[in-house]
Amino acid sequence: MEKLTPQAIIDSFGKELGDGFVGGSVYEREVAVKKNKFRSLWVEVKKSAFRDAVKHIFHLQEYPHLAIISSSDLGAEVELIYHFTIYYGYHLEELSLGLRVKLPKNDLKIPTITDLIPGALFTERETQEMMGVEVVDIPDKRRLFLPEDFPEGAYPWRKDEKGPPNDMLRVLPGREQK
Amino acid sequence: MIQEETKKATYNIPVGPIHPALKEPIRLALSVDGEEIVDADVFVGQVHRGIEWLGMNRNNPIQSIYIAERICGICNICHPFSFVMAVEHAAGITPPPRADYIRAITAEMERIHSHLLWAGVAAHEIGFDTVFYFTWRVREEIMDLIEYVTGNRVTKAMFQIGGVRRDITEEQLPRIRQSLDYYKSIYDKLEKVFLDDKTIRMRTMNVGILKKEDALKLLTCGPSGRASGVPKDVRQDQPYGAYADLGIKAMTPDMVTGTVVGDVYDRIIVRLLEVKQAVEIIEQCLENMPPGPILAQPKTAVLLKALTQAEGEGLGRAEAPRGEVFHYVRMEAGQSTLATWKVRAPTYVNLMSVPTILKGMQIADVPITFASLDPCMSCTNRVVITDRAISRRSVIDYEELHRLSVEKTKELPQ
Amino acid sequence: MSLTAFKRALWVYHLNTGSCNGCDIEILAVLTPRYDAERFGIKLVGSPRHADVLLVTGPVVKQMVSRVKRIYEQIPDPKLVMAVGNCGTEGGVFYESYSLAGPIDQIIPVDVYVPGCPPRPEAIIHGVVMAWVKLEKLFKQEVA
Repeated sequence: MEKLTPQAIIDSFGKELGDGFVGGSVYEREVAVKKNKFRSLWVEVKKSAFRDAVKHIFHLQEYPHLAIISSSDLGAEVELIYHFTIYYGYHLEELSLGLRVKLPKNDLKIPTITDLIPGALFTERETQEMMGVEVVDIPDKRRLFLPEDFPEGAYPWRKDEKGPPNDMLRVLPGREQK
Repeated sequence: MIQEETKKATYNIPVGPIHPALKEPIRLALSVDGEEIVDADVFVGQVHRGIEWLGMNRNNPIQSIYIAERICGICNICHPFSFVMAVEHAAGITPPPRADYIRAITAEMERIHSHLLWAGVAAHEIGFDTVFYFTWRVREEIMDLIEYVTGNRVTKAMFQIGGVRRDITEEQLPRIRQSLDYYKSIYDKLEKVFLDDKTIRMRTMNVGILKKEDALKLLTCGPSGRASGVPKDVRQDQPYGAYADLGIKAMTPDMVTGTVVGDVYDRIIVRLLEVKQAVEIIEQCLENMPPGPILAQPKTAVLLKALTQAEGEGLGRAEAPRGEVFHYVRMEAGQSTLATWKVRAPTYVNLMSVPTILKGMQIADVPITFASLDPCMSCTNRVVITDRAISRRSVIDYEELHRLSVEKTKELPQ
Repeated sequence: MSLTAFKRALWVYHLNTGSCNGCDIEILAVLTPRYDAERFGIKLVGSPRHADVLLVTGPVVKQMVSRVKRIYEQIPDPKLVMAVGNCGTEGGVFYESYSLAGPIDQIIPVDVYVPGCPPRPEAIIHGVVMAWVKLEKLFKQEVA
């Protein structure tokens, strides 16, 4: 597959997804003495176009590498970012691609991508147990890191009332309780 | 011997990245058919300390560097390295070039120590205790060098947002070169001990094969992925720090044997080649180190204030001895802690290939196969392997597994 | 139980309750030719039933609590427990987390503490020698 420039990649998302594409940006930074460029791309899509967006990444790279799914609690919604890397294996050509999806808190569901990328299983299980997002059709629903007796409905990464209960936390002497 | 129990039980097989007798919190559940393994399941979570939660709710970004350091005691430089890069990306701070070079030098020293540690453990799993002691004695030289340059053997505290905390001065250079010469002189002996030995070849060739396509689908990275033919190396592909100036090439086993098989022997080759490459990289960095300051903002109070006001998101990627480390950070103005922090250690993804490489293997090969992936459990959490298939579930403890592995070595034809 | 058992050798069982492995590799470094504790008779054993001293590292993660108690009970008397590292002594940097059950002395009684993050191999050898002396004193009191 030929390698596209970062801006061409973002435009290709817009063309492929139409309405589902919300926006994209390129970040560049110069590194060390020779001033080579470090580049990362950020693309935001709507939930309805999410699986098509992932399939589109397969057009750019035969086996994209999914690093992790990170989730942030933004108050009324939860933002998931799927961190992909493409064009690896060549000197100075790899690009990090962050695919952003925002989910409203009253409907925290996202389809699974383990049929496309079997290696996404662990990170989807972790997102389920730590943030409370339901991954629809995931092949293995068990908890990954938390013990079985961790209270249901408590999600450690949440900033609202669904975080870990206060009796599980301790405070260092000298620090005020946050 | 293997006891059969009727109640449901999983094997508590502590297989650690360091010493088999060390009870690392790993649980392997193997389903066996006679002597052959049919399936494996992975349970993680026994080292879960809530690090990301601590960074998001209790500590400011500078304190979080020291938590990132203690994610793993072996890969002690790569976690703060990528964390600091992510925060610099988010806050818009650029470290001076001299700091980039010092960071690369400490990262390569850590790579040498980690690969030698692994080589000793792998030898112990096969039953060669002498090689284990020999390799760890060779490793002490790099530990002395690390202590000379950074001040401590294990938790080095070299990183600060915007640079490094200690400089490498002209007076230190002769001592550093002396250690590098030692490693250059002993490298041939290491290669002979590990790669030319008949017994190691018999125990590791065609054992635990991971094909290239499986490695790509299961997202394997690091030396395990390179041994299967995936030439992915963050230092080569998307350079960071001083690596961007140096032109690194990913090490693959066909440089020594000519073909790529993806077995345990190939993984040994890749790690030994990387030790040699690390020595060359340190020499290159020492020759080309630019002069200048080592911190973008030397006053910590001013730096902390700037970080509290910073807003943005950033990602940092580094090549740890085990693979690719990834940190994602999001900061909000006016908040003293980080808003979001996500860590991905390389063993997180490498573990998913465990069921695939263990299928069809004998029980006696489990220790060496599992150890060849170089799992750093504290980076990931526990792993449980279960095996379905045969209806018989056995309870086997680690001692038994290690004993089986050592006996297999003794029974090999000489 | 005879006094002579300790005049010859001290067998140590190592248990990791969720540590970062920093303390564990320093414990192993104690046995390698550089520091070589084996010449004193200190040996790492693979089963708690053969051990005299239990070496515990790590802040105790909640999933490991029952395992720690079970292994403590399997070690035959007389026994000593050594907590190596800051995490075991008082929680270390992870004290405030939601997934910890407290430093080791909340779960099993501890006799010797070796602080440090991680402690140097020399400090660990010093701790083992102090444990040895304490055990001998305990024996003398029992016999007397």
